[in-house]
Amino acid sequence: MKIVIFGGTPGSGKTSIIKFIIQELRDLKIHYVKFDVLDTTDDVLLREKFDISTEKEISGDICPDHYAALKIPEIIKRHQDKDLIIMETAGLCLRCSPYVKGGLSINVLNILAGKPSGYGPLLTDADIVVVSKGDLISQAEREIFRSKILEVNKTALIVDGNGLTGEGAIDVAEKIRKTPETGGKLTLKHSMPTAICGYCYGNKTIDSGESLKRYNLGKDLKARLPNLNCGKCGFKSCNEFIRAVLEGEAKESKCPYLKGG
Amino acid sequence: MVIKKITILPGRNKEGKAESQSRIDIHEGQKIGVVGPTGSGKSQLLYDIEKLAFGETKTGRKIKINDKKANKVLKIDPTRKIIGYLTQHMNFMTDTTVHNFLKTHIETRGKHRTKEETEKLIKKVISDANTITGEKIKGHTNLLVLSGGQSRALMVADLAHISESPIILIDEIENAGIRIKKALDLLIKKGKIIFLVTHDPILALDTGKRFVMKNGGINKIIYTTIREKGISNYLSWINNYILDVREEVREGKQIEELKLICSPMGGRE
Repeated sequence: MKIVIFGGTPGSGKTSIIKFIIQELRDLKIHYVKFDVLDTTDDVLLREKFDISTEKEISGDICPDHYAALKIPEIIKRHQDKDLIIMETAGLCLRCSPYVKGGLSINVLNILAGKPSGYGPLLTDADIVVVSKGDLISQAEREIFRSKILEVNKTALIVDGNGLTGEGAIDVAEKIRKTPETGGKLTLKHSMPTAICGYCYGNKTIDSGESLKRYNLGKDLKARLPNLNCGKCGFKSCNEFIRAVLEGEAKESKCPYLKGG
Repeated sequence: MVIKKITILPGRNKEGKAESQSRIDIHEGQKIGVVGPTGSGKSQLLYDIEKLAFGETKTGRKIKINDKKANKVLKIDPTRKIIGYLTQHMNFMTDTTVHNFLKTHIETRGKHRTKEETEKLIKKVISDANTITGEKIKGHTNLLVLSGGQSRALMVADLAHISESPIILIDEIENAGIRIKKALDLLIKKGKIIFLVTHDPILALDTGKRFVMKNGGINKIIYTTIREKGISNYLSWINNYILDVREEVREGKQIEELKLICSPMGGRE
């Protein structure tokens, strides 16, 4: 099985380009996962268009990159019969990237959306950079943009992509075919941010005292939780459970593994 | 890279029927028109050429350069890419002056030049652009405030002198605000091969031959007659005349007279 992860800011044209790539890879058994923060219907769209298995994963309060990392093992387990799993996710704050070693990382980059140097690991860790919307600007600027990408990511294959005509889909599909199967332990290409302040635990007041109080309560709870993200409490992750407890929306006893108290 | 010839080997139309012509050879300095209604396959043809397709696109066409299958590097490396592209939707988006923009682009192309050479090239691009557009472009003008005509003129001059792509694909470029024939002459003078998707008679009747697209395939090839070239010249004269009067209006002048005399077979550029 192969894993391909598409990352790119909202509106960069990921889904449009993925449609053309799936078209090129119709002979493979594909599973498509869309990670989004609030909601999406792309999973339905692609299921109906190509008759492939699809799903959506909504991250809600968790950073979508964190959430994707939590979900990947489970998704792989469920789809052992597939040749290819395509995951699509929006890089949210550009601090991280959703890519894993052992899979193919593809960044869809909107040429109209600012300088390549402002993107971070979403761009710099990608194996392929699909530059979208290049048909809207001059040849000269496209050449300049390409050289700016190469300044921050020297090894990526840069492909001109067009979500309307399907330009670039052949090149990406060819590269996917040549990608080795995923095997062994998966690791993230880039570490996630350290999330250790009161705001991570749901504090909304702009006040250092309040934030510290919240942090200490959260830290205490965190130490007593199993951090398995097992979901038995009804929340997607232990961190979300902590937030809910601190907000008074859930009882500690909901967690079957909680120590002490 | 010197391109003497590009060859299009036939593919299939949307119904899977093979294109009738056996092979089409196009030599340096030639202009080819591509005409046909929406959905007839014009853009796909340009796409096949841009991709230097070799059977992998949906038409199955094969494109050869100098009688050979194109090297993979030519398709991907931007500085070695042999195809330049100009479309109707294109705009500039960089917030900088014309001069600095051209300088950045020259540096991006990676060819070593002295400061003087670079400055000379920038001057040449701007002065050539100014022969194409009515309203003069200046080096210190911001790219984003250029009019549509000025932008297109600058893109053409840039393609001619800096991008150096030997093959140019032009998709439905409008002639509003530019001396379109002069623009093409500038590219042709550089020995480029030009593919023009257009229904503008000034352009379409000025090519050597035009492909008539139908149902995704090349259905027919029309060779331009001398009479058609004359008609193109005449229309171009009118277009340029309109441009001159437009400039006078812009400058706040009263338009006193209407010039009606022109020779259909040449005359004014």
